This record gives sequence, C-alpha cells and structure tokens, in this order.
Amino acid sequence: MRTAAELKYGEKGIINDIDGSHPSSRRILEVGFTPGQEIQLINMSAFRDPIAFSVRGTIIAIRKDEASCIKVL
Amino acid sequence: MITSTLEAEPLITLVGPPNSGKTTLFNYLSGKNYKTVNYPGATVEYSISKLQKKYNFEASILDSPGIISLIPNSPDEELSIDSLYSHPRFGIPDLIVVTIDASQLSRHLLLAKQLIDAKFNVVLVLTMTDILNRKGFDISLPDLTNELNCNVVKVDGRTGKGIDELIKVIEKNILNGRLKPRQNPIRQNGNIHFDKLIGYYKEIENIEDKVIFKSNKDANPSDLETANKKLNILNNPQARNNIGIDQTTLKVDKILLHKAWGLVLFFFIMSITFTSIFWLAQPLMELVDSAFGYLAYEATVLLGNNWFGNFIANGVISGTGAVLVFVPQIIILFLILGLLEDTGYLARGAMLIDRPLSKIGLNGRSFVPMLSGFACAIPAIMATRTIPNKRERLLTIFIIPLLSCSARLPVYALFLAFLFPMSKAWIAGLVLAGIYIFSTISATLIASLVNKFNNKIIKEVDNSSFILELPSYRIPKLKVVATNTYHSSMAYVKRAGSVILLLSIVIWFLTYFPDYNPQVNSSSMSQEQAEQLIGSERLSHSFAADLGKFIQPVMSPLGLDWRVGVSLIPTFAAREVFVSSLALIFKVTGDKSTLQTSIIREMRQATIAGTGKKLFTTATIIGLIIYFIFSLQCISTLAISRKETGSWRIPLIQLFVFTAAGYILSFVAVNGLRLIGIN
Ligand SMILES: Nc1nc2c(ncn2[C@@H]2O[C@H](COP(=O)(O)OP(=O)(O)OP(=O)(O)O)[C@@H](O)[C@H]2O)c(=O)[nH]1
Ligand SMILES: [Mg+2]
Repeated sequence: MRTAAELKYGEKGIINDIDGSHPSSRRILEVGFTPGQEIQLINMSAFRDPIAFSVRGTIIAIRKDEASCIKVL
Repeated sequence: MITSTLEAEPLITLVGPPNSGKTTLFNYLSGKNYKTVNYPGATVEYSISKLQKKYNFEASILDSPGIISLIPNSPDEELSIDSLYSHPRFGIPDLIVVTIDASQLSRHLLLAKQLIDAKFNVVLVLTMTDILNRKGFDISLPDLTNELNCNVVKVDGRTGKGIDELIKVIEKNILNGRLKPRQNPIRQNGNIHFDKLIGYYKEIENIEDKVIFKSNKDANPSDLETANKKLNILNNPQARNNIGIDQTTLKVDKILLHKAWGLVLFFFIMSITFTSIFWLAQPLMELVDSAFGYLAYEATVLLGNNWFGNFIANGVISGTGAVLVFVPQIIILFLILGLLEDTGYLARGAMLIDRPLSKIGLNGRSFVPMLSGFACAIPAIMATRTIPNKRERLLTIFIIPLLSCSARLPVYALFLAFLFPMSKAWIAGLVLAGIYIFSTISATLIASLVNKFNNKIIKEVDNSSFILELPSYRIPKLKVVATNTYHSSMAYVKRAGSVILLLSIVIWFLTYFPDYNPQVNSSSMSQEQAEQLIGSERLSHSFAADLGKFIQPVMSPLGLDWRVGVSLIPTFAAREVFVSSLALIFKVTGDKSTLQTSIIREMRQATIAGTGKKLFTTATIIGLIIYFIFSLQCISTLAISRKETGSWRIPLIQLFVFTAAGYILSFVAVNGLRLIGIN
C-alpha cells in the first residue's frame, strides 16, 4: 500500500488508514485526514516538501514525513 | 433588568478552530479592535472585554486562541485548553460560544462535538456562511440544532448580521444554565483512542449529510429549503464531498505555489514589501517634516531665546517631532504587512520556507512571527506560541530581536537620508531593503549556529511538525486593515507623546543645564560662527558632557564621540529616541527648513573635539547602522522574552550576545572601511 507522501502532483487517493505510531498522527486525524476521505495532492513547495492536500474542502500543508503516516488506496 | 436575576456577571468564552472568526466576532460584540488576520493562529492570548452597552445585557466576553480539538498537542495548547475549563484570572465560563466556519463544517464540528460532550453550556455560531453560499450550498439551522441539541445562529462578525439573534440566544442559554445545578465540564483524556476520533468524524459526516444542501440561486431559498435538501440527498448521495475548494484559490496557488517559481515569487513579494515602505512614505514624510521644522521655528520666535522657549522648541517640538516625522513610514509598514496578512498568503509563505527553516532548527511556523518582528518584537515573540515544538519556538524567540523592528526604521531612515541626498532617494529605498535582508540573513545564520553548536543556549528536543491549513485567498478588507494600521500607528504616536517625550525632556535638561554662559570673543567671527561656538561651549559644560566622559572611551573605537554615546543611552528604553537625542544634542532649531534637513546639516558639520575630524562619515554611519541591526536595546523585548521563555537565561544571553555583536561588528566595519580608504 502507498502512503500519501508517494502521491504524484495532482494525484488523488482514498485514505485507508493512519499509522498511529507517528508522533503527529493524532493531529493529522484531528485536522480531518480520516479513513475513507478522498485527498488530492494539489501543491508542493519548491523543495517538494511540505506538500499540500485538499481534504474536506480545505487545503492542508503537511511535511512529507508526516504524510507518510497516511496510507492511501 | 436582566442582571438583577443573576448573582454575578456572566462570562462568555469564544472558542473555535483557528481562523474561524472568533476575534472578528469578539470585536463586534465588544467594540474593541483586536487584530484579525487571515492566518490560522492570529490570536495567541486570552483577552477579555465587556459586551457593549447597547445590547442591554451585562456580560464579560473572552476571546481565545484557536484550538483544533480539546486534546492538547503541545504545552502551549494545553495551557490554552486548561484556561478554557477555568481561566486563572477570569474563571469558569457560564457559556461557550463556538465559532464554526460553515464552509468547513465537517472539520470544525469536531471541536463543537467535543465541547458539547464535555458538558459545557454551548451555543454554536456559524461564520463564513457567505462563503458557503458562494459555493452554492446552504445549511439548515433547525436540522443542525436538532442534531447537536444546542442553539445555532448564523453570524457575520464583519457586518453584524445575526448579532441580535445571537444576543437573544446567549441571554436565554445563560439564564437556563443558571437554573440548573452547576456541573464541572469533563476533561478529555490525553490518550484518547484513535477509534474514538474516527467515531466522532463518522457522526459528523452523518450530521453534515442531513444539514447541508445545494442552494438554488434562482429560487427563493427560504421557500425551497426543505424541498431542495430532500431532492438533493435522494438524487445524489455523494453530494456531501463536493463542497469543494474555492476555485480562485486553486488558480492563484498554481502561480504563487508554483513548483519552481513559488520561491522566487516569495522573495520578490518580500522585497517589494520592504522597499515600498521607503518609497511610498517619502513624499508624505517631507510634509510632516516641514510642519515640525516650521513649528519649532515659530516657537523660538514666539517664546524668545530663554530657557522656556528653548524647552518648548527643542525639548518638546524637536524631540518628539524627530520621531513623529517617521509616522508615515510606520503607517505604510503596518498597512503593507496588514494587506499581506489579510490576503491569506502568509500561510503559503510559511509552507514555502518550512524546508530551509527546518534545516537550521526553525519551523515554517516561525515565518509569521519573524515577519511581524519587522513591526515589533513584542507581539512577534508572543506569536511564537503557535510553534508546537519547544526547541523551535525558543530558537525563534531567540532571533526575533535581530529582525529590524519599526523602532529602528527612523534611525535607518535618518542615516540613509544622510548617506544619500534627496535626488537619490531610490537608492535609499533599495539600501533599506538591503538592511532588512541583511538583518534577516544574520538572524538565520545566528539561529543555525546556535542550533548546531550550542545546546547550552537551547536545550530542549521535541518532535518537529508542520501541519498548517492554507486559508482561501481573499481580497483584503481595506476597512479591517486600515483599522489595524490606525491602532498600531496610534500606539507609535502615543509612545512619542509619552516615553519619548519624557526622555527628550530628560536629554534636553541634561544638555541645557547648568545653563552655562560662555564668554566668547566674537569680534573676528560672523554671527553664525559665534552662535555655533557658544552652542558647543555650552554643551561641553553641560551635565550631558559630564556623563559623556564615561562613555567616550567606549565610543572612540567606533570613530564616534561622547555625544553619540549619550544619544545611545536612552535607546534602551526606546530606540527611536536616538533620533530625538541627535536633534537635541546637535541643536537643530533656528531656521525654517525641515527638521530632518537641519539634523542632517548639523550632523555634517559636527567634528570630533580636539581633532577637527568629521564625526559622521560614511564609515561611522555604516558602523552605527550595523550597531543598530544587532544590538538588543529594548527593555520591553527583554521582559517579554523572560515571560515567554520562563526564565532570565535566554533574555540575558540575548542582551549580552547581541549588543556585544553589534559593538564588535560595528568596530570591524568602521576600521575595515577606513583601511580600504572609505572614511
Ligand atoms: N467571508 C467571511 N470572512 C470572515 C467572517 N468572519 C471572519 N472573517 C474573516 O476571517 C479571517 C479570520 O478571522 P479572525 O476573527 O481573525 O479568526 P480567529 O478565529 O480569531 O482566528 P485565530 O485567532 O487565528 O484563531 C479574517 O480575515 C476575517 O476578516 C465571515 O463571516 N465571512
Ligand atoms: Mg483570533
């Protein structure tokens, strides 16, 4: 299974699971990255990190490292 | 009166996710003017006020920092959430008014649900319904009220729409709350299980399905509300996920967050911001400047050449005037920063430079505090509370005093006007931008050095994280920005009228007394020369000169003399006073030209006693600029640094290291420049 950090620019994915062992995982869940949600990688900073996803009608920027705890289908 | 039935004045706390419109509503209800910004995390401290009298309901109202959920994620969030349950100064709230961004219902309801489940007395306020409508959706209030079992009101805190309804609901809920026996709200456990959060979101999605419906713009929405909603759900069960992101925002981001150009644009936007301060302010400044020059002149003519006339013309008018002529610069600085803040770009800026900043131990979230450090270090240091990682936060606080705050602007502006005559004002603008860039680069360099080599200064280690919502772009509301600018500028003017006036008077006193009357043989001189000689004789016998003897040895290595040294002492209370002191010490009144022209003329003529060498040269001015870039000469900054870091260690290190760095680097610059032939 892939993680959100591996999505390509513009690619969509459905969240399958959040890896609870990451220290930021609870905050990621709280801001709306929950299983079943569709997300899309819509922006990248010039350094390709952080990356921004559309989720629940908003744009949220997170670091690649943090995106890697979001498992997508 | 309603109040008679209440034992004590009720307390209403505004709670809500970041950027949901709490402060906007707070300002409307209280008539206050706290800063509202299109950036999540604008408010970092609780502030209290009374409900305006016109609502006929006496209550205190508390604005709070935005929180995402009731489970804290950092010590600062914990403090903030604890204060919600029971604020150490303001007590336990009788009512919680939760602001929820209607266009982000599914994310924002999490906090609302948690508050309701914790058994707070809750009223829900839906903000930004205009945005939701623009996207073609609407919310059914009766359904949402049913689902959540609490009162819901639509309010626009910018226009006041829905406020009357809100007041009624608040009154009703407070009275109801008082009738019931008081129960303490339940604290959420920090180890809350994942499944519980996911469960919350499931519930919220169900609610969302029931209350949100596509609005038909052509039809009368109030009539068709229910019908529409039903149709919608029947026809299109997937509709709920389509509220979608603001299309303009997506388009603008394609440019401003372009994979390659985004960073270039970022630096371009920053440079324009700072160069324009100088350019836009120039014409306005000359106007204010000549007004003060004229005033000082008239005062001398009117009151005569006695101690009182001198006191008014010099101590009061030139002293404060020297600072007040920079009001246009200050206004433009706040105006431009305010416009930038209100567009929604700042969060993008934070995202763009998170990577480089994290390399040197800072965080993308350091960007906004650092940027506001260009206005004033005090709110900037407070704004670092939005950085969850302790180490990154302390490091940000550490370097903020290095960023050129607005109190330094008058000093730089004067020096740049000295170095570049009026005809070359555009160069001065560029150099000013250069100073800002230089101060930023040195601040980041120092941050990386401290981060790398010195774990004694900052000991903490912690999980580093960057999760930031990028709000929709907006055309800045000129009225909001103008109000913010007005209040910030008034604060500057008030400082000129209080601290700076006071210090000016002290300096005037020190330079005027003991009112020595020199005997000068003026037969062989013009009147002007004689006056100058008398002036300098008087100064060298003044109290200020006695004080200056101690400072002279410190100043000589920088190519300066005690007169500059004496001007530097009061800068520890307020940096701007440096300009006033120069105006007073180099005696600038007596003709009709603008205040600044006279200061610069006197500065050009000043020589170092005994040697005849010019006091202010290109080299010494550059040296002084460097001194001002680095040294920490602001007592209030030390105090806030103490408060926010929890001990005197960091502020004291800041004071000594930065001031020493300023002195040493200035010494190196002055003597280096002289070595290569620039005097
Ligand atoms: N379109 C629209 N904008 C609003 C409304 N209410 C507030 N805003 C804007 O939303 C932005 C954020 O408002 P604030 O009042 O600063 O939000 P806050 O909840 O205090 O935010 P933090 O202090 O960061 O937690 C500002 O730019 C406001 O002008 C509204 O009803 N509609
Ligand atoms: Mg606020």
